[in-house]
Amino acid sequence: MSEREYLLTKVEIRKLNFYYNGAQALKDVSMNIFDRRVTSLIGPSGCGKSTLLRILNRIYDLYPGQRAEGEVIIDGHNVVDRQGDLAFLRAKVGMVFQRPTPFPMSIYENIAFPLRLYQKMSREDVDMAVENALKKAALWNEVKDKLHQSGLSLSGGQQQRLCIARAIAIRPEILLLDEPASALDPISSAQIDQLVGELREDFCVVIVTHNLQQAARIGDYTGFMYLGELVEFDKTDTIFINPKDKRTQDYVTGRFG
Amino acid sequence: MKPDPALILRRKIINRLMTSLFIVATTIAVGALVVILGKLLITGASELSPRIFIMNTPAPGAKGGLLNAIFGSVAMTLVAIVTVTPIAVLAGTYLAEYGRGSRLGHVVRFLNDTLLSAPSIIIGLFIYGVIVLRAGHFSGWAGAASLALIALPVIVRTTEDMMRLIPDSLREAAVALGCPYWRMVVSIGWRSARPGIMTGILLAVARISGETAPLLFTALNNQFFTTNMNGPMSSLPVVIFQFAMSPYRDWQSLAWAGALLITASVLFLNVTARAIVSRGSR
Repeated sequence: MSEREYLLTKVEIRKLNFYYNGAQALKDVSMNIFDRRVTSLIGPSGCGKSTLLRILNRIYDLYPGQRAEGEVIIDGHNVVDRQGDLAFLRAKVGMVFQRPTPFPMSIYENIAFPLRLYQKMSREDVDMAVENALKKAALWNEVKDKLHQSGLSLSGGQQQRLCIARAIAIRPEILLLDEPASALDPISSAQIDQLVGELREDFCVVIVTHNLQQAARIGDYTGFMYLGELVEFDKTDTIFINPKDKRTQDYVTGRFG
Repeated sequence: MKPDPALILRRKIINRLMTSLFIVATTIAVGALVVILGKLLITGASELSPRIFIMNTPAPGAKGGLLNAIFGSVAMTLVAIVTVTPIAVLAGTYLAEYGRGSRLGHVVRFLNDTLLSAPSIIIGLFIYGVIVLRAGHFSGWAGAASLALIALPVIVRTTEDMMRLIPDSLREAAVALGCPYWRMVVSIGWRSARPGIMTGILLAVARISGETAPLLFTALNNQFFTTNMNGPMSSLPVVIFQFAMSPYRDWQSLAWAGALLITASVLFLNVTARAIVSRGSR
């Protein structure tokens, strides 16, 4: 890329360490995550990429034995220091999981539920927000005639797009995707990839993936993690074509992992 | 490698032997049930008539039905379940959602399991001491209280088990949206676990509707129809106990009819519970 890019740092990670019941899972991770870009995290199983993702919205708070140290600065606030209201953080940072997690309610209610957590809205406003979210997640055409059927009645790929619609309905600024396509068939998986590419226009997207082609295809930036360390972080092209670290090179060329 | 023919033959014989052992054991178990149900159906059905449902328990030698006992059983069971269900569901939810790793959770779970296996006569005696002796008389309320104590651990246990079946990813998905934990439990946890929790409640109803021992100490019996739960109240199991032991032919046949009635309703509840589960898992 020759022309200068205007990049806005959305998340600034400095010296981040993480412990599961005392066992260290992340070691001094530092990186910048840019707004309106897709950042992929790759690496072998257990390297800490999901752990890193789960710190950004402090979901690890659910489990008493898990602890983070260091700085994760989002819009000037360190989210790791346990100050600040979690509701505000989670309104700003949305998350989609590996397996689709539709709630046991109708398609419409699945999306209306988080909306109502944050604001009192009129019926018309909710209708509109639901429609917009479903359109953005490329699901509207498939479900517009059955909005009041159970979300569980959808196929796996549709369920995952419903979860994406649900996450973006509350208009977060950062979207965390934890292997969102790995439990899906190839066609659904390709749809998710395409969707993620479109989402970068509105969000700061961080995606954890096992699938190197996926990372190469949709990531603007890629971080390679190994044994709890961020080995290398750079533009996706650099990571895949001209990595500096031997371990990165071995991994992206399929020699280990 | 060439198999040893003697070894193969031995294996085949043992296989035959074990298979027939399983079949015999199953036949004995199912056979007992078939004999009980068959006898109950044949003898009980011939005693069934509309007057069972419209007349009260008679004096020996007179004509009568089981209306007061049926009403008493339904009333006490209903009061017990309606009062105990909210407590038990909340307690089971606590154990599954908040008390998973905590010391308090372990202690409560252990006590609940103890209560689950406590002989029902002990529970009857306990209520006798706590309510009946203090009030100075037997009552339908005391009967309902003892039934409630028996239903409590059943519902706590099934609620906890059902809430634990909810995958953590569903909890995380709700929490990641900024949903407060309690709201997640109420709107998503209970909704997912509803068929299972309903089944637990129905099984608890089935369990307490056949209990006799705790009612002997608490509600006692009443040969008249009453809606006053402050006084002694009749119930099907106690009437069956009393009438079956009696030397009178017509009392004995009423006991048969009552036994069939209870068995049929317990069977109905169990089938309904199963239907709910299989519908929920679809």
